[in-house]
Amino acid sequence: MLNHKNGKTKQEKATNEFNQIVVGNSLSKDAWRRLRKNKMAVISVILVSIYILLAVTAPILPIYPYDEIVIDHQDLPPSLTKTAGELMRDKELAKMYAQAWRQGRLVVDEATNEMLEDWVSRSKVNKVWDYLLPEGNRQLESGTFTWNASEQRSIDSREKRIANEIQISIEKMWLKDEQGKLSDVKHLETDEIVALYAKLLGVQANLLVDQYTYEIEMQLLKKIKAESTGLTDDEYNMMLRDQLDSMSTKNYDALVKENIYEKIASTIKDMAMEQLGTEASQAETTYPLNEKVAVTEYLTASVKATKMHDRRYYLGTDSLGRDMLSRIIYGGQVSIAIGFIGTLTSVLIGVVLGSLAGYLGGKIDYFIMRVVDIMYGLPYMLLVIIAMAIFGRNILNLFFALAIISWLTISRMVRGQIMSLKNQEFVEAARSMGASTPRIIFKHLVPNSLSVIIVFSTLRIPSFIMTESFLSFLGLGVQAPYASWGSLVGESVGGMTLYPWRLFFPAIVMTVFLFAMNFLGDGLRDAFDPQSKNQL
Amino acid sequence: MPEHNNSKQPLLTVTDLKQHFPIETGFIFKKQIGAVRAVDGISFSVYPGETLGIVGESGCGKSTTVRSIAQLYKPTSGSVWFNGLDLVNAPQDKLLIARKEMQMIFQDPYASLNPRMTVRQIISEPLTIYSNRNMLDPPMGKQEIEGEVEELMERVGLNRLFKNRYPHEFSGGQRQRIGIARALALNPKIILADEPVSALDVSIQSQILNLLSELQKERGLTYLFIAHDLAVIEYISTRVAVMYLGKIVELSASGELYHNPLHPYTKALLSAAPIPDPEIERKRKRIILSGDVPSPNKVHKGCYFYERCPNRMDHCATNIPPMKKISDNHEVACWLYQ
Ligand SMILES: Nc1ncnc2c1ncn2[C@@H]1O[C@H](COP(=O)(O)OP(=O)(O)O)[C@@H](O)[C@H]1O
Ligand SMILES: [Mg+2]
Repeated sequence: MLNHKNGKTKQEKATNEFNQIVVGNSLSKDAWRRLRKNKMAVISVILVSIYILLAVTAPILPIYPYDEIVIDHQDLPPSLTKTAGELMRDKELAKMYAQAWRQGRLVVDEATNEMLEDWVSRSKVNKVWDYLLPEGNRQLESGTFTWNASEQRSIDSREKRIANEIQISIEKMWLKDEQGKLSDVKHLETDEIVALYAKLLGVQANLLVDQYTYEIEMQLLKKIKAESTGLTDDEYNMMLRDQLDSMSTKNYDALVKENIYEKIASTIKDMAMEQLGTEASQAETTYPLNEKVAVTEYLTASVKATKMHDRRYYLGTDSLGRDMLSRIIYGGQVSIAIGFIGTLTSVLIGVVLGSLAGYLGGKIDYFIMRVVDIMYGLPYMLLVIIAMAIFGRNILNLFFALAIISWLTISRMVRGQIMSLKNQEFVEAARSMGASTPRIIFKHLVPNSLSVIIVFSTLRIPSFIMTESFLSFLGLGVQAPYASWGSLVGESVGGMTLYPWRLFFPAIVMTVFLFAMNFLGDGLRDAFDPQSKNQL
Repeated sequence: MPEHNNSKQPLLTVTDLKQHFPIETGFIFKKQIGAVRAVDGISFSVYPGETLGIVGESGCGKSTTVRSIAQLYKPTSGSVWFNGLDLVNAPQDKLLIARKEMQMIFQDPYASLNPRMTVRQIISEPLTIYSNRNMLDPPMGKQEIEGEVEELMERVGLNRLFKNRYPHEFSGGQRQRIGIARALALNPKIILADEPVSALDVSIQSQILNLLSELQKERGLTYLFIAHDLAVIEYISTRVAVMYLGKIVELSASGELYHNPLHPYTKALLSAAPIPDPEIERKRKRIILSGDVPSPNKVHKGCYFYERCPNRMDHCATNIPPMKKISDNHEVACWLYQ
């Protein structure tokens, strides 16, 4: 209190002209200012931020689900203007023209014929398609070519599908009671929801019990089998019994509720589909549709319906008809996460071990550094591959395998930094006033090596992403339906000549990110290096 | 002043302190092939309220002496008694209590302040450390530490409004003031100052020296003050020890040493120092020492100064001279006076 008062009186006689506390310029603030003058680095920061923003907000972006397989939409090329239906029609027609040309029904002149044959022999089928589509359309118009009956039938049925097929999702369902009050089905009690389903099917509620018990058990069993492999069926059954016995009634009820809810939703979906399907053919509804529909007299559902073939794939689709744009964004999520989390773990391990080795020296230093030397000697990729093969191929194991071998370089670097810093007088000063070893390491030594650590980490992220991509490319990385940039590139190499966009887009997106990270790392290095002060 | 030296208990007593740094060879199996005998058996006492100066050429072991006393290095042998505690063998917690009473000021005002900390963080660090350990008496809260930092800044002549600045935004002299404020924070009994002014401009040097003597009067501080500049030492010291190759060769009251130097090395040292009066300076006879300073790795059989001594005798080559009391406040280690 006394000190406080003293502070007050002193403030009055303080001498600087504005009588204000001067805020210092920390070295990192300086570095930041210098970084901002570096155009490439600023552009990189912006790019990286956009990438991260997209990756983080992926679930709320208006994109199609990355794992939704639409068989009709396989291998559609990227297009900004055409809908999936149009692309699908073009693709099928081109194939049919090509077939007709092969059968000699679609006649072209001699020179063209030779050119087409040449393309076929060099397996450039897509060129043949591209050429025959307008040619066929022209001949069809001028009447020199006609479809045969079966072809016409398949064209007609496809046109009908393109016009009518809709996709429905049920967002929410409400139960209407006698007074006309709506209550959310999700909030019903378990027995109420079972009764509701029974009523919907028109059966006795107790008849459903056997069915859902069986289904829940199967579901649990599947989960158990996925978690621990290589046991006998008896053992699996025992584990299942165990789990069921230890489960509380509340948890079991929740499982039942979930199971029945899904069933009601899918029944409602079928019913809504039936209603809309007839309407759609009469072209009464406008799509996309998003409204509350009274499906039965006691059930109302909010239904979202879109025309299946009105979709637009700006970056095309893959061999299973999944949207490339969405897969690239979700793939970026995985790749960037591996880059950042992997770097973070390896930096944490590296900094702690490196600074301990550097500061304590002696036997500890010797031991840590020999471990590092030995691990350096081991073939790095082989280790990761073996680890992935042993522990299973999932993203977590990939993080783990990458992190445990990539702390080596950073720990050596930090050790070197710490060794050159630890004999500085400010460290001796800290020791002479009784600072503990952790305090000296984390308050004095590490902050002074921070610039090196930051620069290194930034440059480390792209190399992590590359490694992950390489592993995914080999098929050791993330597993379907998940995607990463590497696995997207890997999957698309097979169809490279026919479907180049499937390779091109993920590759370009990844390259831009890696470039940006590298420029950012270089920019940071220049910014933290005091010598570069004069250059700017 | 010398009279009460004997009546008072010494605050710090160093007895036969040795600090040898092993020279090792071999890549994996280290083998010691010798040692740098940086400090090779020195003894002295420092009394409360006085300033003991230590002079000597660069590399004679002054800094090592101070660091060994502060237990930054574990001494090879010898003892350091401070405040009734043997620091060399003290357990960690006792040593922490002693460290509170013994603070250091360093030579390099650039290297001795952490460039990533603000002045406030630097000065408050000793307080924070001891506060975290519950060893402050009376205990201080954040607010009180803040106030204390401001007070210290004002005391050493820094504007407290600069407390959020970083060291690189200050001049050398100002930085040394920050170092002094940090050393004062725990209100120590003794301050070990390792060439605190030798990195500064001459005009700044006198300001810092004045500040140090003012603080000594105000707070009853005791200094162990190291310098290689005789003028600085004469200005600030009560008594002076002259070091050569890890040994003390002469120890005397400050005025006495300058008027009546005994050891040939002290004489040579004094004769090399410039005197501001050009008249005297021109007439003065210089003692030029022959040869270089021998390597501190060598094990000596005789006087450490033998190779370069202008007055050497055969006896000196094989016998190490002991410290001898010549008068009440004058000791010398030289066979000329035994
Ligand atoms: N940590 C150390 N390891 C090995 N030798 C050292 C170490 N510190 C100092 N020395 C050596 O000890 C001698 C005395 O050094 P120092 O005490 O710094 O001298 P001064 O401060 O008097 O200039 C020098 O020869 C120096 O090389
Ligand atoms: Mg020194």
